[in-house]
Amino acid sequence: MVDALKGAINFLTAPEIFITLASVLFFLSMRYKAFWAPKVALALGILGAIFLAVSMLDHNFALIVKKPDNVPIVAMLFLVGFFVWLSMHQAHQNDERIARGEPPNEASNGENEKTWVWPDLVYTELLCMIIGMIVLVVWGLAFHAPIEEAANPARTPNPSKAPWYFLGLQEMLVYYDPWLAGVVFPSLIIVGLMAIPYIDMNPKGNGYYTFKERKVEITIFMFGFLIQWVLLVILGTFLRGPNWNFFGPYEYWDLHKLLALNNVNLSEYVWVKALGVGLPKNMFVREIPGILATLVYVVVLPGLLARTWLKKYFEKLGPWRYAVFVMLLLLQIALPIKMMLRWLFDLKYIVALPEIFFNI
Amino acid sequence: MATNATKPPEPFLTRTWDYITDTQIWKSIFRHGMPSTSRNRVLVVMTNVFLHLHPVKIRKSGVRLKFTWCMGGLTFFLFLVETFTGLLLMFYYRPTVAYAYMDIIDLAEQVPLGIMREIHRWGAHAMVITVWLHMFRVFMTGSYKPPREFNWNVGVILLVLTLLLSFTGYLLPWDQLAIWAITVGSNMARATPLLGYEGPGAQLLALGDVKMVHAGSDARFALLGGRFVGEGALLRFYVLHCVGIPLIAGILMAVHFWRVRKDGGISGPV
Amino acid sequence: MIWSLPIGWAAFSAACASSLVATARFLFPNVLFEPPQAFKAGFPGEYNVGEVDTRWKDAFSVWIVRQPEGFYALIAVCTHLGCSPNWLAAEAKFKCPCHGSGFYASGINFEGPAPRPLERARIVLADDGQILVDKSTKFQFEKGEWTNPEAFLKI
Repeated sequence: MVDALKGAINFLTAPEIFITLASVLFFLSMRYKAFWAPKVALALGILGAIFLAVSMLDHNFALIVKKPDNVPIVAMLFLVGFFVWLSMHQAHQNDERIARGEPPNEASNGENEKTWVWPDLVYTELLCMIIGMIVLVVWGLAFHAPIEEAANPARTPNPSKAPWYFLGLQEMLVYYDPWLAGVVFPSLIIVGLMAIPYIDMNPKGNGYYTFKERKVEITIFMFGFLIQWVLLVILGTFLRGPNWNFFGPYEYWDLHKLLALNNVNLSEYVWVKALGVGLPKNMFVREIPGILATLVYVVVLPGLLARTWLKKYFEKLGPWRYAVFVMLLLLQIALPIKMMLRWLFDLKYIVALPEIFFNI
Repeated sequence: MATNATKPPEPFLTRTWDYITDTQIWKSIFRHGMPSTSRNRVLVVMTNVFLHLHPVKIRKSGVRLKFTWCMGGLTFFLFLVETFTGLLLMFYYRPTVAYAYMDIIDLAEQVPLGIMREIHRWGAHAMVITVWLHMFRVFMTGSYKPPREFNWNVGVILLVLTLLLSFTGYLLPWDQLAIWAITVGSNMARATPLLGYEGPGAQLLALGDVKMVHAGSDARFALLGGRFVGEGALLRFYVLHCVGIPLIAGILMAVHFWRVRKDGGISGPV
Repeated sequence: MIWSLPIGWAAFSAACASSLVATARFLFPNVLFEPPQAFKAGFPGEYNVGEVDTRWKDAFSVWIVRQPEGFYALIAVCTHLGCSPNWLAAEAKFKCPCHGSGFYASGINFEGPAPRPLERARIVLADDGQILVDKSTKFQFEKGEWTNPEAFLKI
């Protein structure tokens, strides 16, 4: 029974299933506000705590979770869960109030009035600081800061992981080449975040929680934050093991787990497998299918979307804002797309020009 | 006259308090009475350089923890904790390959109250989490919308600086965890387009046969001060971690807080 | 006089730009104190034919592979992000612990994210008959450099 359950969970955490399930769950929760009722949230929180507590009985699970550097990640997961709920719950409350014609919570019952910074704000801050300090000291007493063997430039630990908040980037490096995953995409994340206030032309929802008035913005941002950042941190911390293979949470980290990772380039799929001819000699001719696919994705698709699905945005934002918006959106989705292609079709590169260090 | 005579003498503590607050020293520091009247509540904020970060009055919804989560405040607090504990750690730590690792070991075993490094490290983790949650809150309340667009940008840069602070600090213990995380991290710089010697376009930058961008002249070299993670990298990361990035972060924080005030204080519905 | 303002600003910008370049140049020292890149790896008779020899990996990050016709030296640095792969003798492959790249004994990549094969180092016989490996000269397969006589030591 227990083994069957563990087996099931191990199966469900296979990356393609895990990410698909999490994304489906995410979009359902955006669609149905029943997800954010306090009872549901409490039940989920308790369920999570029970899952964690029971799983700690499993040796392989406990081994990973108890690592001192992983403790903040577990804390972070519960904190993120709580605060996502808190914001969405208040947002739905406000939406109901607005639907009834009342002002949001933040503007009713005298909340619009001003109050003294001393004592109201400074004492709140003092309390937060004291609690924060206590948490830190207890945490420091309970867990030693990790220190491993002295550095040895010739021996890479197996597995070798980045600091936890960069595990999303490290995961990205499996699917895209370093110049994209390590340089271009991180820069675009920063630029994209900075562009948000200049792209989001919706004047509503300034200074109070609301979902109904900014559905699309919140969904895009939360997808990036929860699925593409936090979920990838979970993936990198708990599911990536020796040789950077995937392991279920209850699976033994076997150094010799054999996984076929024989990835194939798009050019080989097209020229060799589909057309039955050899790879062309000229590298640019060889990569024509991939180059075309990329051009369609970044040039044709934005224009197409402007006439169809995103017509409303094209008209509202104007050509320049729309161009930036759609490029950022497409590049954001490029990561899950490539991950799925890799997992389902073993696709390595869409464009593979190792001769000039240019692979996509 | 009669009422004065029947009044019982003030308790000892009150008298002492009155005496202290009546001295010239006290009066030279605090230019106002206890902040229990409106006038003094204004003065306590206006005449104190630290409290002066705040306005005198603030909208009620902006004080609610349910609204702000106090995550920005906690982030700043953690920055101060990191500065203080980091300063103490610097007394015992020498950033050279020969000493760094042993200094860290000694720190835990030979120094009284040896949880300074623990607090520093867990505080760094906590700071990353609070920065994220702060950004998440600001997004969910739409507080980046006009007129606060620019301050959101400053905030994004501060988020990046927080991550960089944490990343540069990761190398300093000079253990296996440290050098391999930094090896992988810094090798990405090798692939920077044009500036990294394995990045697309770097081959175009050549004078005849002589390559302009090679392992000894690319973006990664500038970061590490060498072709691999060694003595030079340790020193550069140490300096960036202890002086360079905190200095920039400190300046940007001043801008950030100032703009919160100038852009209309904490956000709220109109 | 009408030109004084543009000239002044142009000079100011040029001065700013050149000091920026000078500051950037400051990051690149003229002399590097890094360990020597070349070492002597013993006599050819000390190696077994068909084996990947890992004895120099910890000290110099190099594997020496002995084949019936001779030797080649593979640099133990993954072409993905610079971790050092491990030789898994049972599976006859190099496997990188960072992102799972796999390479054959020849150095050719066949799995994982590595974009190109491992690099080979210059390998020659020294005057005293020992094998001399010099990592400062590298040979890359995708540039066709493995056919260079110094990339393979014929015995």
